[in-house]
This record gives sequence, structure tokens and C-alpha cells, in this order.
Amino acid sequence: MQQTFIRADFDRLAGEFRYIITDMICRAGSGHLGGALSLVEIVISLYWRIMNVDPENPSWEDRDRMVLSKGHGGPVLYVALAYRGFFPKELLCTLNCDGTNLPSHVDRTRTPGIDMTAGSLGQGLSCACGMALATKKDGKDHKIYCIIGDGECNEGQIWEAAMFAGHNKLGNLIAVCDYNRLQIDGFTDDVLTLEPFADKWKAFGWEVIEIDGHDWDEIYTAINRAKEVKDRPVMVIAHTVKARHCSLVENKPESHNIKVDDRETHNRFLAALSCTDYCLPY
Amino acid sequence: MDCLHELEMRNVYARTLVELANESPDIYVLEADLSKASGTNPTFANEHPDRFINCGVAEADMICIAAGMAVEGKIPFCASFTPFASRRVYDQITISVAYANTNVKIVGTAPGITAGPNGGTHMCFQDLAIMRALPNITILSPCDCYELSECVRWMARHDGPVYMQLIRMKQPQVFDASYEFYPAKAVRLHSGRDVTLLSTGYMTSFAVRAAEELAGEGTNVDLLHSPCVKPFDTGSLIESAEKTGGVVTVENQSIIGGLGGAACETLSENLPVPVKRLGIPDRFGEVATEGFLFEKHGFGLEHIKQACREMAERRSFAADPIAVSEG
Repeated sequence: MQQTFIRADFDRLAGEFRYIITDMICRAGSGHLGGALSLVEIVISLYWRIMNVDPENPSWEDRDRMVLSKGHGGPVLYVALAYRGFFPKELLCTLNCDGTNLPSHVDRTRTPGIDMTAGSLGQGLSCACGMALATKKDGKDHKIYCIIGDGECNEGQIWEAAMFAGHNKLGNLIAVCDYNRLQIDGFTDDVLTLEPFADKWKAFGWEVIEIDGHDWDEIYTAINRAKEVKDRPVMVIAHTVKARHCSLVENKPESHNIKVDDRETHNRFLAALSCTDYCLPY
Repeated sequence: MDCLHELEMRNVYARTLVELANESPDIYVLEADLSKASGTNPTFANEHPDRFINCGVAEADMICIAAGMAVEGKIPFCASFTPFASRRVYDQITISVAYANTNVKIVGTAPGITAGPNGGTHMCFQDLAIMRALPNITILSPCDCYELSECVRWMARHDGPVYMQLIRMKQPQVFDASYEFYPAKAVRLHSGRDVTLLSTGYMTSFAVRAAEELAGEGTNVDLLHSPCVKPFDTGSLIESAEKTGGVVTVENQSIIGGLGGAACETLSENLPVPVKRLGIPDRFGEVATEGFLFEKHGFGLEHIKQACREMAERRSFAADPIAVSEG
């Protein structure tokens, strides 16, 4: 299902996502807020405007795949999957609860709609390469989407996968890098710079598209362009803002994993969002 | 393929994969620039070039590519030298294979001292131990070509992660073409009541010789070969130890955490009897001949026989209360 784009509706949905993600993480007492909020527009665009999936049949053979290699971004994907109908929205409040099927890091054995487990950084892009290669061998047309983090690109395995995808001309692989320029210990340029980032991917044989990762039109145009590239993998470098629209921690390293000890802190995080006019679905 | 024992083990590995690939379009071979060493190149590479994937010297990538392929219904067999197929990629196996429960088959070639001239960097003595500590993965160490062929066939049938040690060179024949592999089942290769000898993989042919030679001396060994190190056949070991009262283990691995470890865990919780573990003590490997390494670490044929004699004597000693009090 690809939904007609009405900007006001999508803006409202993005706000609702941020409200729910923040509430889920605050209820859990801690969690990776920043990297979930930076992905909101990208994930909504993929699941509402681009990807071909069937919530009634999560393992439908011809669906587009999603590998969230930065597995700690789980909450944003859970909201998308719940709102698309893969599981009841009421379950969203079970993030990280004992016995949950919504763990902090995505787990294919627990959650409908999660195509691959991730959590140990650097592995997901290789897994996506394997999925893309198998799909290519089978002559199928669906795409493999893989979201990686910028800090994750410190991992050597990312570049092993980059080399493999380029060498094997995995034209059905579309990766998106959440380039919010922050990792746990600080700004990526201070910890271990990635620049010249686009040139690196190009050198490995990838088509590179750079966009504002919060701009609906740029995301949609870029990924549609990526879908037309058949002879090489595509890296969409999405320039984003970590903890986007949560003024308390927006663009701050401490947004990576917030700790919420009490109701007051919980309320402060919700109040810090740019829009709070939403009802929780649980 | 009736005379498998005349072939190198790696050739049997590759030929078996070719046969499996002829039967199933889902069988894939993944290599990390060691395909000639694994035997899949040229045997498999020529027969099924479209299903032969060389990932380059990138073992971590290879394991995760295999996991992704397995999610899509493929049955990938990934091989590399044992250290690079196990400890180098332990986290990839842990998360993308075992934890994610993907149907990946991992093959560690040239296990333990069979790495020979490549020396200490390539002599992995702990792959059985570290793999045993991982939930949701079966661990195999076949001893000859017939068992290897059956293990590979079983791996392809079994839906779940498997790690297998693959000795590359020709091996003494232990079984024949009638051999059938049963997971989690030890195979009794010699019956006796004096001492239990437990072996796996490369050391089993030595254990067979030890049992035969000791029988000539009047020491009767109950020899259990355990091709499946995990799940481990606890029942057969306990049953044997009840009969013999003492156990010797031998493996081409560190004595910490591998087959000897499995035996000690089993017996200490169920039937505490004396155990002597033979293998590599807490040391690294080095470039050396097999004879030198057996002698240095104390787990060659003569050491196995001596350990069995001592265990059998200890048992008869302990069974005689007068001898104990006089001792």
C-alpha cells in the first residue's frame, strides 16, 4: 500500500511518532531516543510511500525487506509496524518489559515485520548484502532496504560489506545512512571522522545520493531514484538531526541513550517535543 | 563414492556439497579466499559456479552474508581456517547466526594441530570450547570421510545453525559406506570394562589404535567417539562410566572447555568418577611436526595408552579396599 501524500497528514503522523517513541522510551526508564527521532521521516516515507509490504502476511515472499542495521533504532520501527497493522498498537507500551516482543534492539525471532536481527553494529549491512544476493539469484524484483548509523560506519565490517555490494553489483540494495553526526561519545568528526563520506561510498562502487533526511520530498525523490539504479547498490546519505524536535536533547550526544528515573523527567521529555497534541494508543 | 577413505577429507566435503547442490537449488558455498584449502575450488566452483560465492578475505562479512542468504531460504556453507571461522567471527556467529536463528553452516578447516606449518596463529585450540558456550548451535567433529559425508548431508537437512570442524587431509578409515550419523549420539568403537576412552574428530583414529593395542595387553577400553560435541551424548558417557569407573578424554583441542570439559560437566553432576583430559594444556600452538606437538603436549598414541592404563589401574586399585588401606 502506498498512501497518497498529504503534507499536513504526514507532518502530523511524524509528530505522533515522536510523541509515542518518546513516551515508550520514558516508560521503559531508558532507551535510544536520539537515533529513533532522527529516523522518523525516513521510516514513515519507506513504510507509507515506498515499501511494498503486507501486514497481514509479514513473511510474504515478494515484500520489500528492511534491515535496521543500527538495531537500537527499534522503537521507530515498532511504531511504524504497529501503525501499519503488523501488530496491535497497544503493544507499543511493552518496550523492554519483561518477556517483551519489542526489545530495545530489533529481533527477527520476536517481532512480526522485523526481517533481520541487529544490535551488534556493523553486521546488518552484510546481512542485507546476503539477502540482496539471494534475491538477485532468485531473479526477484523486490528491494532490500538497510538503515545504518553514522557511528556504525566506524565498524570495519561496514566497509567489507560496502566492498562486497559494489563488487557484486547489488542493484537491489538500497542503504540509508542516518547521518546525524553524533555518536555515543560525541560528534562523529571528533570521535572518528567519516569524511569524505560520500566519496568513500562512491569509491566502493556505490551510487550516492545526499538528502535532507527530514524533508519528505527529498526522501521520496531520492529513494525512487535509487530504485531505478539497477547496476550498483545505492547509498542515500540522509543528513539528519539527532533527537529531532525534542528540544531537551536535540543535537546533543546525551540524546543517544536517555535515562528517565521518574515521572517528572518523563513529563519534561514529552513537554520538550515540538508538538504534544496527541493521544497515546495504549 | 564407495572408496571415500582414499580421498582427502576436503575433497569429500566438496563432492558431498556438489551432490547436495545437484539435489537442491538452495545449497550455496561461501568462501573467504581459502576455497582451494577448503576443497570447494575447483570441485564445487566448477560444477556450480552460480552458487559459489567468494567473499574475499572478509570472514565477518561472509558469516553475515550467509545469515542474510539463510533468511531468504538458502542453505549456505561457509568455510575458512578454523581460527577465522570461529574466534575471529565469534560475535557474528553469536548475533547474526545463533541468536538470530539463521540456517547457516560454518566449517572450520585444519582444526588444532593439523594447521601444521602455519603455526601458532592458525592453531585454534578453543573453537569447540567457545562454540559450546553458545546456545542454539550444533557442533560436529567427524573423524573420517564416511562420517564427514554423512555429517554434511545431515547439516543440509537440519534447519538450524551448525559448526563443523573439517580435517583437510586424508584420514584413516574408521567407518564404511554403511555409516549413518545420528546427532547427539556417541558411537562405541570398542567395548571394554576397564576404562572409558572418549574422543572426537582428529583424535578418534588414534583412540581406535590405542584401544586395539591395549586389548592385546589385557586392558579393555570402552571407546566412545562423539562426532557431535554439542548436543553431547551424556547418556552414553554416564552408562559407560558406570561400567568402567574412570574416563580418559582426548581431543585435538585445549583441555579447557571442549570435549573433556563436556565430559567433566556431565560426570561431576551425574556420576563423579576420575577423569583424565588429554589434549593441549593451557598453551598456544607453534610451527612444529605432529610428533613434536604430541610429545610436548602429551596427547599422542602412547600418551593415550598410558593414560588408559593408569586409569584402569586406579580403578582396580580403588575397587580393592585392602589395596587402598595398604596404599
